[in-house]
Amino acid sequence: MSGLVLSHIAKGFKSGKVLEDVSLNVNAGEIVAIVGPSGTGKTVLLRIIAGLQEPDGGTVSIDGVDMTEASPESRGIGMAFQNFALFPHFSAFDNIASPLTARRMPAGALKEKVDAVARLLKIDHVLGHAPRELSNGQKQRTALARALVAQPKVLLLDDPLRNVDAKLRYEMRLELPRLLRSYNAAVIYVTQDYKEAMALGDRIAVLRGGRIEQWATPHDVYAAPASVEVAKLFGDPTINLLPSKVEQGEFRLLGRNVPASGASGAIVAGLRPEHLTVSRTETAGGIPCELDAVMPVNVRSVLYLRGPAGEEILATVGENEAAKFGRDHRQVWIDFAPENVLLFDAATGARIGHQAH
Amino acid sequence: MERVSALERVIRTVLILLVLVFFLFPIFWILLMSFQSNDQILRIPPSIVFEPTIANYATLLTGKLQTTAGNLDVAFLKNLGNSMLLSTGSVILSLILGVPAAYAFARFKFRLGENIAFTLLSFRFAPPLLVLLPLSLYFKQLGLTDSYFGLIWIYQLICLPLILWIVRGYFEDVSPDIEHAYRVAGHSWWTTFRKIAIPLAMPGIAAAGLLAFIFAWNNFVFALILASADKQPVTVGALAFVTASGIQYGQIAAAIVLSVMPTLLLALYAQRYLVQGLSLGAVKG
Amino acid sequence: MSLASVSETGSIPIRKRRFARRALPYLLSLPALLVCIGILVPFVTAAYYSLMRFRLNLPALKGFIWFDNYINFLSDSAFWNTVSISLVYAFVTVAVELVLGLGIALLLVKPSRLNNLASILLLLPLMTAPALAALMWKLMTNPNFGILSYLVGLIGFTDFRWASDPRTALLTVTLVDVWVYTPFIMILLLAGLRSLPKQPFEAAALDGVPRSFVFFRITLPMLMPYIITASLFRLLDSIQQFDIVYSLTQGGPGDKLMVFQVQAYLEFFQYTNVGRSAALMMVLWAITYFLSNIFIKQWLKLRERARGVS
Repeated sequence: MSGLVLSHIAKGFKSGKVLEDVSLNVNAGEIVAIVGPSGTGKTVLLRIIAGLQEPDGGTVSIDGVDMTEASPESRGIGMAFQNFALFPHFSAFDNIASPLTARRMPAGALKEKVDAVARLLKIDHVLGHAPRELSNGQKQRTALARALVAQPKVLLLDDPLRNVDAKLRYEMRLELPRLLRSYNAAVIYVTQDYKEAMALGDRIAVLRGGRIEQWATPHDVYAAPASVEVAKLFGDPTINLLPSKVEQGEFRLLGRNVPASGASGAIVAGLRPEHLTVSRTETAGGIPCELDAVMPVNVRSVLYLRGPAGEEILATVGENEAAKFGRDHRQVWIDFAPENVLLFDAATGARIGHQAH
Repeated sequence: MERVSALERVIRTVLILLVLVFFLFPIFWILLMSFQSNDQILRIPPSIVFEPTIANYATLLTGKLQTTAGNLDVAFLKNLGNSMLLSTGSVILSLILGVPAAYAFARFKFRLGENIAFTLLSFRFAPPLLVLLPLSLYFKQLGLTDSYFGLIWIYQLICLPLILWIVRGYFEDVSPDIEHAYRVAGHSWWTTFRKIAIPLAMPGIAAAGLLAFIFAWNNFVFALILASADKQPVTVGALAFVTASGIQYGQIAAAIVLSVMPTLLLALYAQRYLVQGLSLGAVKG
Repeated sequence: MSLASVSETGSIPIRKRRFARRALPYLLSLPALLVCIGILVPFVTAAYYSLMRFRLNLPALKGFIWFDNYINFLSDSAFWNTVSISLVYAFVTVAVELVLGLGIALLLVKPSRLNNLASILLLLPLMTAPALAALMWKLMTNPNFGILSYLVGLIGFTDFRWASDPRTALLTVTLVDVWVYTPFIMILLLAGLRSLPKQPFEAAALDGVPRSFVFFRITLPMLMPYIITASLFRLLDSIQQFDIVYSLTQGGPGDKLMVFQVQAYLEFFQYTNVGRSAALMMVLWAITYFLSNIFIKQWLKLRERARGVS
């Protein structure tokens, strides 16, 4: 079995358990994005994989070899840290070369490899500089180069784009997948930004409460979220959540009766803003709402509505559409298709009808 | 923006100068005395203007003396050598023992470590004689009285707490992720310690070493009790010199100057780190 | 891009690694631990001897008398003399050094060429060996040729005997102590003053608050941790003063300067009374142990603050 396999990893500190039962696998050439709010143990998980911390339970295997007890230097892993962690007293060249010096590579071959990866990351012109002379973007690329240069089997990236300015972050989001795929390593990419996870990950693991709440492709995480929290996490603007109750196989949503398959009792109905159609004129079957505000966001606009029972509702429309809506209170009519409604159990938050893999 | 009146500025400057006079005068005066012959010293009223002579220093350094107490002069040079040896040896040993320990205390949170760190700190404030008096008896029993070896070990009581508490702070300031990055890159713990941790903490290690040297050099009571006659450093030696040579005031002054110069020069050189060192790492300079 | 696979970094048995990792902190601090033990052994010995009648020149009489040494202290005027001299010395020197050190720190707080130069030069007395500083002052206060004797003679004190005179011995030795150690308090308070936040002072300046108010109600309270730490630090050292007193007068004239450690030294080396000197040191240790516990808490607080800010 190639790649990285985590099996039932658990870790606790005096302040409480951080990781409960985390299992996942990453194949060679695959990028797995781990998303979750801060403090949920994403960094701890990476440290355990790298060998910088010991798990209380569970195993870490790389290419079929159990590495749980192995020291960090013998795991053959490449890692890029959130705050870059460059060696301040080494030049950029020496920083990148450090994994190769550990493997006692002769100077000639070493220089070739460092130059090659530097060229790839477009930092070959600053190799002689000290870290403090580099811009944040250059520091981040140097950290990445250092992680990549020894062609490791496993690559751990701890939110590498966090401390980088927005424009550069966007550029790297396009460059990184191309770059990483050429190395054929098993990549774990940790981030708090769900958009980054969806852009880069072949599969996404949502880490909450010390457990993997969902382990699926980006599409499935978005279209079929495992719980209310996952649904809230993925989506901008946030999904509309409206409580209701199933009675006799139906529930009321925005004044309409919707059939509920396989659900009963108190539920929370979720409707993504992009799944609402908004019209300035009354339509057949349309639900009357009040338009509170219009907020343009790039190529879309977010409409802040108030439903018939006073609920806050968000809807998105294309910018051409948005222009038709004035900036004052207007009466509008919204509509939705029942198959776009996601049902969640009100007590547990789990999605009704969700199939976990 | 503070409106400081000219008068206030003048008063401040005058006060500062008065303070400087008070604190620097003794050193200045003894320095003057060291270049005076006995007659010039005994002249009343004392004057700043005189014909300087280097006879005092010559006597001390060459060990030749026209009058009595010729042996003591040679002894003084030996005292300087002893101070040099004891201070350097103690600092080197305390760095070897203390830097790894400081690293352990900074990086690992373990019970024994905290206990050791605190015991050493609290004994910094315990009366030295409490430990020295029994030690003098032990030294006799163990035959350590006439050895530098024994003294250098006991001097660790002075140097080690200093090294531990100052260097620990510097290690704590190095981000652990930097060391982690080096480990993951494939280097062993020892290589990481040598190539990453120590170089990055070097300013602190140097500062602690310099300060430990100064404290070891200035120490009096340890050597008074435990050092045999020919192993005495300048602090003890100068006192013996005074009581024995009685009337050779110029030479006494010269001896004091020679004894005090090394630490004063080191202090001027390392003054940036002294605040932190003196407060044992509690205050950043 | 086809890339060759990574070469392994040496195969060290995995099991051994874990043990080595656990033991590492203990291995590193082993020497420090040995030094600790090296201190504890004589300490326990001293405690042991303090419970005995033990004179080096009368070995035959060596035996346990339990707490008699301590009880005898209570009725011993020499003991109480030692206690009172030590306490007076400690408190007077620290009080003077505190006031003086604070005053100088306030003078030097604004960074300027003169102030920076002054701060550096004021280190020099502190870096002088106290024993040697005492010798310097001994020379300067020599009744025959000492510059200070001459100077006080000019203002009317013609036969000022400084350290040889029971009336002025304490003054002299305090003078030396103040000379050596005031810079210590000054440096600490200066660092403290410079680390204080600027906003309260700026606000007070904007509001036109008088300077004395600013000093007593804003500066002083904020500086208190530094003042307390510095004072305790010095108090702990001052009550155990040996170097200056011994170099100057060996405890004399008479027993006017017989502070704790000097007394213990003489008991041991002149009267060879091991039991009594050990007991005396245990009493001093009890005092300093109590004080140092208070001090260490304050010191740690300051340390946390320094670490937090940086």
